[in-house]
Amino acid sequence: MKKKIVLFIFVGLLLFLAACSNDEASNEPEETEDGRVVLTGLITKHPLTKELKDMEWLEEVEKKAGVDIKWEEVTADWDQKKGAMLAGGDIPDIIVGPNAITDADFAQFPGLFENLKPLIEENGANIQAMFEQQPKTEILSTQSNGDIYGLSKYQRFWPDTATMQFINQQWLDNLGLEVPTNWDELFDVLMAFKEEDANGNGDPNDEIPMDFSPVGEGGFGYFQPTVLLGSTGMTITGGGGQGYFLEDGEVKNFFTDDRYKDLVSSLHKLYANGLISEEAFTQDYSQYQAVARGEGENAKVGYTFGWEKTDRFGLQVADQYVSFAPMKQSADYQGDVSWSYDYDNLNYGVNFVQMSSQTSNKEAAMRFINELYDPEVSLQVLFGSIGPNIEKTGDNAYKVLAPQDEEMDPGTWKWTSSWADNGPMYIADDLEVELPTDMQSVDEQQAPFKEVFETVDENDVFPGMMLKYSEEDNNKMTLVNTDFMNLAISKFGEWITSGGIDEQWDDYVKQVDQIGLPSNIEIIQSYYDDYKAQLD
Amino acid sequence: MAFAQATKSKSVSQPKKATILNTFRRDYQLWLMILPAIICVIIFNYIPMYGIQLAFRKYDFTAGLTGGEFVGFQYFIQFFNSHLFWDLIRNTLLISITTIVVGFPAPIALALLVNQIRWKRGKRILQTTVYLPHFISIVVLVGLLNVMLSPNTGVLGLLLAKLGVEGNLLASVNAFIPIYVLSDVWQHVGWNSIIYLAALASVDPQLYDAAKIDGANRWQIIRNVEIPAIIPTIVILLILNMGTVISTGFEKIFLMQNSLNLPISEVIETYVYKTGIMSNQFSYAAAIGLFNTMINFMMLVVVNTIAKKVARISLW
Repeated sequence: MKKKIVLFIFVGLLLFLAACSNDEASNEPEETEDGRVVLTGLITKHPLTKELKDMEWLEEVEKKAGVDIKWEEVTADWDQKKGAMLAGGDIPDIIVGPNAITDADFAQFPGLFENLKPLIEENGANIQAMFEQQPKTEILSTQSNGDIYGLSKYQRFWPDTATMQFINQQWLDNLGLEVPTNWDELFDVLMAFKEEDANGNGDPNDEIPMDFSPVGEGGFGYFQPTVLLGSTGMTITGGGGQGYFLEDGEVKNFFTDDRYKDLVSSLHKLYANGLISEEAFTQDYSQYQAVARGEGENAKVGYTFGWEKTDRFGLQVADQYVSFAPMKQSADYQGDVSWSYDYDNLNYGVNFVQMSSQTSNKEAAMRFINELYDPEVSLQVLFGSIGPNIEKTGDNAYKVLAPQDEEMDPGTWKWTSSWADNGPMYIADDLEVELPTDMQSVDEQQAPFKEVFETVDENDVFPGMMLKYSEEDNNKMTLVNTDFMNLAISKFGEWITSGGIDEQWDDYVKQVDQIGLPSNIEIIQSYYDDYKAQLD
Repeated sequence: MAFAQATKSKSVSQPKKATILNTFRRDYQLWLMILPAIICVIIFNYIPMYGIQLAFRKYDFTAGLTGGEFVGFQYFIQFFNSHLFWDLIRNTLLISITTIVVGFPAPIALALLVNQIRWKRGKRILQTTVYLPHFISIVVLVGLLNVMLSPNTGVLGLLLAKLGVEGNLLASVNAFIPIYVLSDVWQHVGWNSIIYLAALASVDPQLYDAAKIDGANRWQIIRNVEIPAIIPTIVILLILNMGTVISTGFEKIFLMQNSLNLPISEVIETYVYKTGIMSNQFSYAAAIGLFNTMINFMMLVVVNTIAKKVARISLW
């Protein structure tokens, strides 16, 4: 009896251990019945995007490349999944997604990803074409040591800025006001919005004069009031980020710039007078979107930032709003006016597709990746399959069709039908494409901003995403930036809501210097100089 | 009687001393039953401890956890020299100590109160109502807080505005700790009181009767019968709580964080997350985490020693 128990436990333990041990992954290339190479793939896609097996273009591309990919589709919590996956070293053959694997990951996990450079030279005609015609894509793909782990994209149609400013024209008309042209006029207009019943519904207190997107703890992004720095002649990129910008080829940081101080003071003046939404700092993005859609025909927000009118305000009240040209700082300001320049951020992207170094058949995987960069395929990656989503109207001419479902807007249609902006692509400049209506209206609404960018010099645009730092420099800068943002962003909020910037400014600048901002600027400057040399 | 039994059994097993080997042989069934638990603890709690060395090494993926270059206390020194060091310590201590000071006595008071209710049905309804919030997930709870405290649309926000508390509480440095602690108490007070109720249930009814005969009123019964009965439970739980004094609830703080309350809401654990997970500084984050654990461990030892000396109640 005793022996039986002992034996039982022993066997149980053995089974337990056997279950724990890892099955050796077979590296034998598998094939389907029709001789296609079986690969595994992972894509981080938008939650709205339909299943990959329903995308006709993808099926064709896989056939053409002679591969059959078993896709894993990730729509949420990628950051958490990624850490475990990379640390375990067990990754799929192909990973697709916007910066799903970052440069920092390549540095942290050397040997996990395949250096694509030699493969591109052999099997990557489309990618080579992209590199030749859009040299920035090559810079974006290449690490500081010359290796290529993740490929970039070129999306071409996107505008110069992601953030436009909108004001409610109907409110202005109701109150007999003009579109403001400088900060002082803006103050007067917002004051009128607040004091009077601008939307004419009988309640003078339900108007929110100004609202902006919630500011994250890691830095600034799109739809945030940092774009107003343009009024002082400063050109920021990507909405501001961690404050680094370029002026006459010199890297600076606006968090310690007097012009930033002016902006914050003036925003505090707005806030102190109740002109900025009280929830601007605590709401999340969906609340920010919801508030601006108003109630029925009743608009709620007077002045705000967004990507496109109908996207920002919904179909009901969008017609009340107009986009307008960047303002000057003051009536007597003589210098240039600028805005957040985001063309590179919107049209290029880093690390859209990677290959595992463990891939059984690298040539096949490369054939597939190369196929994605075929201009016609790329168009389908972006807008959906030829047939339901795109009509081929000529040899090199295409028309993006309206949504089949009449109640759906073109933007949503794109995101549901295909990989959309999340996919790797090369939309060659010689394709003739008739864009969907939402992209056309973005274009129209952008007109006031385009004029501004005509005067902007290349030496004033910080090419943040083009710079590839070494691991050591990256680590050094990250530590400084974490501490720096912790101070700077909370001060930004505090100064706007409670004031006190004049008294605290000098101490604050000193503290930022101590944290190490000057050394970061020095590092970035040296990388920027190298980048310039590379371009020439 | 008890004495007699003891001597009797002693005389029977006298030749054998209680050595470790003997206890294994004698109680092997018990050991077998506890074996799976021991294996689990070793696998999941002890083996991962070798990861601690990450804090002393420059992490290198190709070389694995144990292969990186040994850098000694470099990461600890880096943390001590960080500009956020004192802020982090202050915020962490402030939040966790307030949580203990306010949050620890609350379930005791509730248990004593509930224990006084004679109407059985009402008692059950009350108990269920107060312990249900325990099952709300933190994400939902923080969502609730956001909705209710919104200055323009929230129920609590509007109510507080009527009472003269102006402004957006979620964005206020001063309101962060009260909101954090009070919502925490609201969520867990019922659940935590269960253990005290159990302790109270084991009080000998004779003690109550004796107290009543002596003419004690309710308050005196609570003071002289019930509180002494649950003191051992209180002390043990207090010691256990002190072991986590510097581990604030990461998820909740992280979710409640926004750019305005950052000066008070950045604690060691959120900082570890930001540097370690978000910026890939594994070694640095491991060092901060280890520092955090060391402080917790020291607190545990100190409080345990004090409790042992003062009340003769202790974990070990």
